[in-house]
Amino acid sequence: MDDKLNVRQLVDAHKGTVKPAIYIDQDIYDLELERVFGRSWLFLAHESQLPKAGDFFTTYMGEDPVIVTRQKDGSIAAFLNQCRHRGMKLCHADSGNTRAFTCPYHGWGFGLEGGLSVVPLEQEAYRNGLDKSKWGLVRVPRLTTYKGLIFGNWDETAPSLEDYLGDMAWYMDGFLDRREGGTEVVGGVHKWVIDCNWKFAAEQFCSDQYHAPYTHGSAIQVLAPTPENKSDGKPLGDGQTQRPAWANGLGGVQFSEKGHGSAFFFTEKPDANVWVGGEVSEYFRETYPEAERRLGSVRALRLAGHNTMFPTLSWLNGTQTLRVWHPKGPNQIEVWVFCIADKAAPDSVKEALKASHARAFGPAGFLEQDDSENWVEVQKVLRGYKAKQTGFCVQMGLGFEERRKDGIPGVTNYTFAETAARGFYQRWVDMMTSETWAEIEARTKEYQKELVHG
Amino acid sequence: MDKIFVCAVAELPPGEARRIETDPVIAVFNQDGEFYALADRCTHGEASMSDGYVEDDCTVECPIHSAKFCLKTGKALTQPATVDLATFKVEVEGDNVYVLAPAQVAA
Repeated sequence: MDDKLNVRQLVDAHKGTVKPAIYIDQDIYDLELERVFGRSWLFLAHESQLPKAGDFFTTYMGEDPVIVTRQKDGSIAAFLNQCRHRGMKLCHADSGNTRAFTCPYHGWGFGLEGGLSVVPLEQEAYRNGLDKSKWGLVRVPRLTTYKGLIFGNWDETAPSLEDYLGDMAWYMDGFLDRREGGTEVVGGVHKWVIDCNWKFAAEQFCSDQYHAPYTHGSAIQVLAPTPENKSDGKPLGDGQTQRPAWANGLGGVQFSEKGHGSAFFFTEKPDANVWVGGEVSEYFRETYPEAERRLGSVRALRLAGHNTMFPTLSWLNGTQTLRVWHPKGPNQIEVWVFCIADKAAPDSVKEALKASHARAFGPAGFLEQDDSENWVEVQKVLRGYKAKQTGFCVQMGLGFEERRKDGIPGVTNYTFAETAARGFYQRWVDMMTSETWAEIEARTKEYQKELVHG
Repeated sequence: MDKIFVCAVAELPPGEARRIETDPVIAVFNQDGEFYALADRCTHGEASMSDGYVEDDCTVECPIHSAKFCLKTGKALTQPATVDLATFKVEVEGDNVYVLAPAQVAA
C-alpha cells in the first residue's frame, strides 16, 4: 500500500461514502495525472477520422497533448505533442493531413513516424554536432484499436486493453457492433469547457440513471410526442413506446466492473430515447434483425442507457453520443463530443442522427445543459469551508449486488443503483494507492469478491 | 540533354508529385493537369519538395518550413527561402511523362 495522500480515508466503497476533497484537491489531482491517466487505456480517436496516410488528430491523454497519425504503412501511431527542442506544443491544428510536423518556435521538423528530420541551420548552429536520432518525438508506447476506437496507454506494464475492459467489452460491443462494417464519426467534434471535476461527469455516465427523471424532467415533458411536434412528419420519438422505460415492469440492470459502469432498462421493442428523431428510431427498428443476429436480443433491444469506460470515456446508446472528459485541473474539464453512426446507415439517417444528437447532447443540447448545470453547481458549492468537510451519500442499492444467470455479465444491480459509482471510486482508490498493476488488479478483484462472493 | 522517364501520366494525378532519383534529385509536379519539374531539395533546408503541398496558384509549399516556390519559374516567393529552385523541362509523350535534364544530371 502506498497511500501517500490518504485517499483511502476519503472514499469508502463498502459503506458508500465519499469526501469532497477528491474533487477539489490539487495534490490529489496531480497524483491522478500520474497514477490514473498515466496508466489507464485512454480513448484517442476513431479510425474513421484517419482514413489516409498523413491524416492526424490531436487530443489529450490526461493533460498531455498527443498527436494521433496514420502512417504511410497504414498503421496508427501516437506521440506526445511536444517539440523535443524546448518543449513547445508541436502541432496546433485540431486535425488534418500533413507530410511532417514542424515546430512553430524554432522550426524543428519531425516526420510522420516521429523522427527528427530537419533542424534549421544545422551545419552553422550545431557546430558541436547534434545527434538527431536521439531527439525524436516521445511515442505513446501502447496503442491499440477496438472495433474502430483507438486507445493509447503510457504504461508499458498495463494489462492488455481486453483485460482492462473485462466484461465492459460486452456492453461496448452493443454500441459499436450492431451492423456489418462497424461505426464512424459523423460530423465534427464538439468541444467546450465547463468548471467541474472530471469525476462528476464520468461517474454520472457510469452509474447515474437516477438523475434522469428529475434533472431532465422538463425536457421529457416538452419533447414527448405530441401533435404539435409533427410538422415534418417525422416527430421526435415517433413509433416508440410512449411511457417511461422504468415503469414498464420489465426491470433493468446496472453493471460494474474494474471501474467501468453501464445501465439500461429492458424494453419489448428496440426503443431509442423519445427525443431521437423519427427517422432515426425507424432505422433502429428496421435494422433490429441484423443487430439481434450479431448481438442477441438483450443488446440489440438496448438503445438507451449510459456507459463509462474508466476513467473518462462515456457514451449513450441510441442518441449515439460518445464523449471524453479531458481533465483541466481539479476544477475544470474540456468536454469532447463525437456522434457515432453505423457505417452502413443511409446518409439521410446519419444526417437525422447528427441533428438528434446535437439537439440533445451538443454544447447547447437540452439534456447536456441540464447535466452540466448540476456538475458546475456542485463544484461551486465545494468552494465553501463547511461544504469541503461534508461527505456525500453513495449508498443506493448497497448490498443488493449480484451476478446474473441470464448471460448479462459482471457485477450487477437494478438500474437505479450506485453500484457502478462505488465500483468507479473503488477502482480510482486502487489505482491511486497501488504502485503496480498486479496490486491494482488484486485489490479490485478482492472488492468485487466481497460484493458478490465470487 | 538526357530525357529521363518519370512515370505514366495516370500515375501522377493533379496535386501530386514524384521524386526522381537523379543527381541532384528532381521533383515532378502535376498542378491541375500541367506538369512542372523543380530541384527537389528546398533551398532553405533539408526538405523534399516532392512532399510539399501543390497549391491552386501554381506554387508548391515546402512541407517543413512553408517556403513557397513558383512551379513555373522556381522563384522563391516567401520566407524562409531566398534562393530560387532550379527548373527542368517536362515533356509528355503519349501516356508517359519525361523530364529533360542536363547530361551530367542523370539517374
